Amino acid sequence: MPGTPVVDDIELIIEDIGGGGGNPPPQTGDGGGGDGEPNKRRKPTPTSPRRYQTAIVLAMLSIVMFFMALAVTFLVRKTSSDWVPVHLPFMVWVNTIVLLASSGTMELARRKELAGDLKGFRTLWQVTTGLGVLFLIGQVMAWRQLVEQGFYVSTNPASSFFYIFTAAHGVHLLGGVGALCYVLFRNFQKTKLTQSVAAEITSHYWHFMDGLWLFLLALLYSGK
Amino acid sequence: MVDQHSSAPEGRQPTSSRGNLFQTGHKAIGLQYLWLALFSVFLGMIMSLVMRIQLVWPGAHLPMLPSFGNSPERYAALTLLHGSLMMLMVLTAAPQAGFGNYLLPIQIGAADMAFPILNLLALWTTAASLVGVTTAFFLAPQAGVTLWIASVALFCAAALANALNISVTTIDLRTKGMTLPRLPLTVWAWFINALLSLLIFSILLAACVYLLADRVLGTHFFSLPAMFSTASRNSQAVALSALWQRLFWFFAQAQVYVAILPCYGIVTHLISTFSRKPVWAQRAVVLALCAVGLVGFCIWGQHTFASGLDPYSPLVFGLLASSLGLPASILLLSWFGTLWNAKVQLTTAMLFALGFVSLFLAGGLSGLFLARNDLTATAASDDFITGHFHLVMGIAATFAMLGALFFWFPKMFGRSLDERLGKIHFWITFVGVYCMFMPMHWLGLIANLHLPPEAALTVAAAAVWPIRSLVTSATLVTITAQGIFLVNFVASLLKRSEAMEKNPWRATTLEWSLPSPPPFGNFAARPPVVYRGAYEFGVSCSEADFALQSGPADGTPPAMSGGTEPGLKCLPPQAAGTT
Repeated sequence: MPGTPVVDDIELIIEDIGGGGGNPPPQTGDGGGGDGEPNKRRKPTPTSPRRYQTAIVLAMLSIVMFFMALAVTFLVRKTSSDWVPVHLPFMVWVNTIVLLASSGTMELARRKELAGDLKGFRTLWQVTTGLGVLFLIGQVMAWRQLVEQGFYVSTNPASSFFYIFTAAHGVHLLGGVGALCYVLFRNFQKTKLTQSVAAEITSHYWHFMDGLWLFLLALLYSGK
Repeated sequence: MVDQHSSAPEGRQPTSSRGNLFQTGHKAIGLQYLWLALFSVFLGMIMSLVMRIQLVWPGAHLPMLPSFGNSPERYAALTLLHGSLMMLMVLTAAPQAGFGNYLLPIQIGAADMAFPILNLLALWTTAASLVGVTTAFFLAPQAGVTLWIASVALFCAAALANALNISVTTIDLRTKGMTLPRLPLTVWAWFINALLSLLIFSILLAACVYLLADRVLGTHFFSLPAMFSTASRNSQAVALSALWQRLFWFFAQAQVYVAILPCYGIVTHLISTFSRKPVWAQRAVVLALCAVGLVGFCIWGQHTFASGLDPYSPLVFGLLASSLGLPASILLLSWFGTLWNAKVQLTTAMLFALGFVSLFLAGGLSGLFLARNDLTATAASDDFITGHFHLVMGIAATFAMLGALFFWFPKMFGRSLDERLGKIHFWITFVGVYCMFMPMHWLGLIANLHLPPEAALTVAAAAVWPIRSLVTSATLVTITAQGIFLVNFVASLLKRSEAMEKNPWRATTLEWSLPSPPPFGNFAARPPVVYRGAYEFGVSCSEADFALQSGPADGTPPAMSGGTEPGLKCLPPQAAGTT
């Protein structure tokens, strides 16, 4: 898919930065190793986490409009006479369960964090990130399944919509995975953002992506 | 609501001159948007000149056109380039991203935008889009159109990033005391505009994604597959291309207001400052700005009249389009109310603001005709529309931008533009644009006379030709007159930096409490505290007739935010800024 992702890459960058990229880049290339410690020290006073909250809400509003425009076109296009239904590949259902599970583990992780169990938080957060990556891999596998059935992106409108929807959602979700990694690997000693605020904002976005996927799935299913 | 931001600005300090291009400071970025716009506006003007010459002397040897065979496609490509340069790079980017980036953080007392790196990314994406749009002109038509769509998609992404930045900054980075009623109207306009942009640019982005997929991946979102042929093929194909048009107009109808909203803010600001009076009915103006944004977003069905589509509900959209008259009238009333009985200072900036009002009135009146849904598709796509659109949108917005430039130039560069040259430039431009676009309305009306063909030819010979030539000569004169502006601009920049006073126009908003040009990080360690509304002119004072928003720095009790109370205390203009 050379065309679409190029366009959406920019959006991805927006999401990514909206989630916390407004800070100067890290001074040292610290990996995940030293990250257990910063949380033990006193938390830096959060100067304005509010701007990240506001940004993510507004960004979600904008993304809703983007997908609404995609969806409206789908609904209109579905009524034209060259419409050939495409059966959703089996992998899509597996992926949906994976994504829903990731939202669950994310909430569990945040609960651990609020309870002060930072080790449990890290583990569950890693699981969430893993599930997110698994979802993306699963989506690519769903594409493979469709290709094996002989449905390419240009085969018919229904298959085109399937590829475009999953790709657009995938690119936005990739931004979410970026934010998940940011929470995992960022040294929060050096930022104005605390880890818990970053985790909260990321979770808003992640659940939003989750709901968006269910919406898109229902839409694609209705075109069957 | 208001939250105390850190005093130290994030992002990179300007270290060397080379680092200038990559620094994240909002002022540097705002200026770079303005440079982009300046480049684009002159390029776009040359395009329009070539088009006018082509219309009057079709055989004339023109640069660029002959090398491509002088075909109708080249003329269309020229129109497209002119339109996209002016619409995207000038009308959309300059008032919002240019002036907004430069002034909004200072006017609300912030150190920088909320996300400086995102801001820089948006700037460079816009620049890339400008390069793409221009390059597309020189490619073979098919590749050119694909590149053009991709560039527009890039522009959408940049506009989204910028809108996100501006709205978050306005919501969260206001300094202490900068409550919503105290926001300058410029900030209100940028803010409402940013919210509107957030919604509509994602729609255009989605439409571009489909269109690019159709062109690059061979999908058929807006067309029927070739092997698919039935008896109903034609009507189906029309319905599908109408689908694209609907998506596009959803964006484009609101885009008109995206370009004009910041201009409303700027003009209201200038008129109040140079009338030395508070904005008349300020709350109503804020509500009117909100209404323009809201109706602008809901109005998308209206232009489907013009393209001959079924607008689903002509009545609703006709009413909505006409109801835009209400906020527009409120704005006009407020401008006239402010000017009423005022000691108006006719500076160049004020002249341009008044020119905007005049153009807005003239264009608004001709626009009344277009809200009718019985207008045929031909009437809507001819000279009448061209005249109306250019007058109310392109030229009016340009006047607002020029006014803003003359007004804020001393703050941006620490030296002022020449007033005498500015006024000469204004009057030639003002008369010139009326001579250009008013006759276009007549041309449109003449074309719509339902005459028998042979009579139509005579009319064309008798009336159309002289009008066409008038328009073209007016274009030549007006564009030449822009040379005066260019000379003024460049000469002022090259002038030795004079010790400018902080507040040459005796204005009230926070940027005038800073030195010119303001330092990196604006207020540095001491964010200002705001005690007053944004337009406290004519307050009873012995020395000054205005009060800075951050007025009493010495602990005088904060004044009420109404601005019209007669017993308001005020301080000498420089009191707040002494360091």
